[in-house]
Amino acid sequence: MKISKTNLTRRQALKTGAAAAAVTAASTGMAGKAFAGSAEDAIIKAAKAAVPGGQDITGIIWSNYQVALSGPMQEFGKATGIDLKKIQDISTFEIPQRAMAEALSKSPEFDIFHVDSNMIPSLASAGLLEPLDQYLENAGVKINAVGNFGEFMTYKGKTYGVPTDGNVHVQFIRKDLFEDPDERKAFADKHGREMTWPETWEEELELMNFFTRPEDNLWGSANLRDRGSSLAWWYMYLYSAGGFPFTDDLEPNIDNDAGEYAVQTFLNVKSASHPEAAGWGTPQMIPRIINGNAFSCQYWDGIIALAENPDKSKTAGKWSYGPVPGSKFSGKLIKRSISTPIVSMLVNRHSPRKEAAAYLAAYMATADNSARIVGDRVNTFHDPWHVEHFKEGSLPAKTYTPGGMAAIEQNLQITTPPIYLTGLLEFETELKRNLSEAYAGDKTAKQVNKDTTDAWARSVRRIGKRRLKEEFATYKALLPTIDLPT
Amino acid sequence: MSMTKSQRRHTFSAFRYLVLTVWLTIVAFPMFWMVSTSFKPDREWFAWPPVYISENATLQNYLVVWADVSEYAVDETGNLETVAQSLQRPWTALGNSALISVISTTLTVLFGSVLAYGVSRYGILSEGRMFQLLMLRMVPPIVLIAPISIWYSALGLLDSITGLVMLYFLTTLPYAVWMSKSFIDEVPREMEQAAEILGASRMRTIWEVVLPLVRSGLVATFLFILILTWSEYLLALLLSKTAVVTLPVELSKYQGSTEGRIYGRQAALSVGITLPLIVVGLIIRKHLARGFSFGMVRR
Amino acid sequence: MTADATIDTTPAAGSKRERTRAQGIRRFKWAVLTPFLALMLFILMPALLLQGYFSFFAFSIFDAGENTGFSSYFEASEWVGLDLWSDALSDAKFGLAIIRSLLFATGVTVGCFIIGFALALLMYRPFRGQGIYYIFFILPMLTVPIVIAYTGEMILYQNGPLNDILSIITQTRVEAQFLYKQEVALTSIAFLEIWNWTPFSFIIMMAGLASLPKEPQEAAQILGANKWRIFWEVQVPLLRPVILLALILRFLESMAEFPKTWGLLQGGPGSATETVPVYIFINAWQFFDISYGAVLSYLILFMMAGIVLSAIWLLRREKKSLDAMYESKPQEG
Repeated sequence: MKISKTNLTRRQALKTGAAAAAVTAASTGMAGKAFAGSAEDAIIKAAKAAVPGGQDITGIIWSNYQVALSGPMQEFGKATGIDLKKIQDISTFEIPQRAMAEALSKSPEFDIFHVDSNMIPSLASAGLLEPLDQYLENAGVKINAVGNFGEFMTYKGKTYGVPTDGNVHVQFIRKDLFEDPDERKAFADKHGREMTWPETWEEELELMNFFTRPEDNLWGSANLRDRGSSLAWWYMYLYSAGGFPFTDDLEPNIDNDAGEYAVQTFLNVKSASHPEAAGWGTPQMIPRIINGNAFSCQYWDGIIALAENPDKSKTAGKWSYGPVPGSKFSGKLIKRSISTPIVSMLVNRHSPRKEAAAYLAAYMATADNSARIVGDRVNTFHDPWHVEHFKEGSLPAKTYTPGGMAAIEQNLQITTPPIYLTGLLEFETELKRNLSEAYAGDKTAKQVNKDTTDAWARSVRRIGKRRLKEEFATYKALLPTIDLPT
Repeated sequence: MSMTKSQRRHTFSAFRYLVLTVWLTIVAFPMFWMVSTSFKPDREWFAWPPVYISENATLQNYLVVWADVSEYAVDETGNLETVAQSLQRPWTALGNSALISVISTTLTVLFGSVLAYGVSRYGILSEGRMFQLLMLRMVPPIVLIAPISIWYSALGLLDSITGLVMLYFLTTLPYAVWMSKSFIDEVPREMEQAAEILGASRMRTIWEVVLPLVRSGLVATFLFILILTWSEYLLALLLSKTAVVTLPVELSKYQGSTEGRIYGRQAALSVGITLPLIVVGLIIRKHLARGFSFGMVRR
Repeated sequence: MTADATIDTTPAAGSKRERTRAQGIRRFKWAVLTPFLALMLFILMPALLLQGYFSFFAFSIFDAGENTGFSSYFEASEWVGLDLWSDALSDAKFGLAIIRSLLFATGVTVGCFIIGFALALLMYRPFRGQGIYYIFFILPMLTVPIVIAYTGEMILYQNGPLNDILSIITQTRVEAQFLYKQEVALTSIAFLEIWNWTPFSFIIMMAGLASLPKEPQEAAQILGANKWRIFWEVQVPLLRPVILLALILRFLESMAEFPKTWGLLQGGPGSATETVPVYIFINAWQFFDISYGAVLSYLILFMMAGIVLSAIWLLRREKKSLDAMYESKPQEG
């Protein structure tokens, strides 16, 4: 309920925003604020000892993400004099490429990269990243994430990132349609079974096809199928079928049955997708989701907050959330969600201000601060990850609705990384190209895997098999050990 | 059934207006759509059937993009929350764009026209060399950008106005020389000779005799080079970081927006990027009327 | 061809005045050329040399990590000889990218030229409203390509105004996909490019037509030639160098087109819009395979050089024959 609407300049707003954020933290009754402050105090103390008098630092951050970070950042600046003064404001999807360009030029210009943590292997190999373990230890910060998620910040045993965001794919289903008695009856008549929450990709496809009604501008699927970001879905299909992109000997491992299943599942969704979906990224798809033009999808959890915001969404209150479907391809049911991009703070090894940057990053990861960041109701770019976020009554729980939080937690338990190896961009681009051609009808699933295998073999040669083998254990360790969420 | 001459002229005239008006529509429609979208509230950006002229026209898009005004609201617990916030710092980018394009265009045209004068009057470059100069333009910038960025990083020229200006200078110089030469060629040499006979110095001759005659041409050259530098995207994207972000690069940030395509904001920024050039174009329109033939036609 | 006849020669050779004059010209020449050559030498040449180095020495960004400084680039490079070159020459994706770019550039060049020339023909004689039309017709050239890309997206969107207008005209619901269908994606971008740059061809052809001498046309008219014949046999031959120039410049510029292609489709759907600039961009700036990018770049440089040199040869020939034609006429001065 809005009391008043008013226009302010951003500067005023940030000021008031920080004040309001402080009030929020106090008033929402975070357990024993006076004591909880000690975690923050320890970081401030360590930062002051390391960088007496403070420093102005620079970073590459997308302003959309920066807004929610600004409260904790300003407090930290006030306490330590370490201020993020200059930022290069580009979209999260472009930052990996820009960070690589920084690694290429070995420039000390930026201190912090706010970028997908899955870029850690590539960026660390290119010599850009500073290991953060020592700083985190000095500051007494532990990355206390749900499930295996904290490991996503490590590479060859060292921690290189501090998460501000716990991106994971969540199953979205339109509750109003799913629970409609007429629809349920029609579905049962047609398929000879009750409409149930989709446990497998095949069941989901049946549902999606059932609800594909172009004449009503309603499509079963809002899964992305563009060249840019649709790969996230492919990972879920492959991992849940028991597949893995590489063998232990770093040979491409997709030109096989599991690989074909993954691509075929990817292509099957075409029957329930809007004809223009081949070109739609998130900017085009999100309006379709929140405007009620889609029945279901797996999507980034941040969209929950948007979809449940009645100011922006026509479908607020009409969604159910849950674990993503899985596959019985391997003989047993396995469900795998995906976390990409996980936006986290990485620190530039070439920078003379790296200590200051590292402590600023650490400050974002405490239970309280991260809750304020991911709990922002409007700037919903950061999603829950910290163990504390999932406690009842937490600030993020209010933003994401209890149902949403439960689904996020379940999916985090079974989440996976994309190819967590040096050369991620290269591996993915080759696969994207082939998948996208197959979706357009130019290639079969078999050809996709054959062509990708060839391209990957070349990339492995170029990047160096020895290097990749060294880091392969890190990648494998990130995969969940359980088949299904609890 | 032969038509009289006047009938034929009328038919031709009608045909001409018809064709020209059709093309006029094609030219004007995207412009119209951009401007119209920039005034639409967000519910109309994707509406079907499309909204051509909004009945709920709003300045919100402009305010958010250009005036740095964010929409805020106070929720039930008294907290301030952002409803929409600007992605952009377009005024800085506008300043950068203006600075970079004006500096490099001025340098290029100044230098190019002096060179062109030398070629036209003293043959300091042979015709063959003049054509080779055009080859500079044939290098697609993408093919050199990687080594240039390594080289620039060694020289400390990344993210600097100097670095971009030097590249713009090199890539637009061929056009500047060719265009201004064609205009200088048209100035009859007899006039300079007459001035010289009357005792005017070389500089005075150039300043008082040649320059006024080629001014129109130089202005047209200036505009053309300005167009190329103002709208350059690739070099500006890859060689800039924080200090010299230009407007086209600023606009491209909307690419990755995750809250859906924000057509209205994007259009409001687009209008701001387009307007300066159009204003300049309109101011100097009379100089453009001669067009440019790069000296490929005898006058 | 230029001024030599009038100002700087006239062989009073040996006279002191002439010698100082020649010296002055030489000094002027170098004063003018020095800054330009300096830039070439210090900016472009090193880049080209680096590019050449990397095309024979495979550079890996992942080996360059440990050290800093300019020399680390060389330490992280390893001699591979012609390996990358043969890779590139057998790279089918690169071949397709070249074909796409050539088709795109040819289509755009011809499109811009036909429309530009037709408009110029209709407009080069004064008529009521000429000024207004002229101003509007040059507007697209003043629009920034990345703006055109985004505006194009709004218009070509399936539920966008273009389909609506087509629906109204045809009285059926048109649901054409202009961008996300791979058969048409490149064509749609080509149309945006034509929209953007037709003014360039238009202005050149306007200037060309406006400067045509009247006498040959009048003579032909007196001889009873009809408009069509005058056009083909008098005007077009005189315009050949301008036409050729308009074609060449437009072709070069569209071979390098990047902002619209990348801004709208990044090479997709499928690989339908993966043109040469996009393909090189992906290799050099997504994969950071600087060495392979260098090889691709050199191949494109050679190809473009071949195209440009033959085009320039043609252009010079045309211009010479035109010059000769004028010079043979006594009244020309």
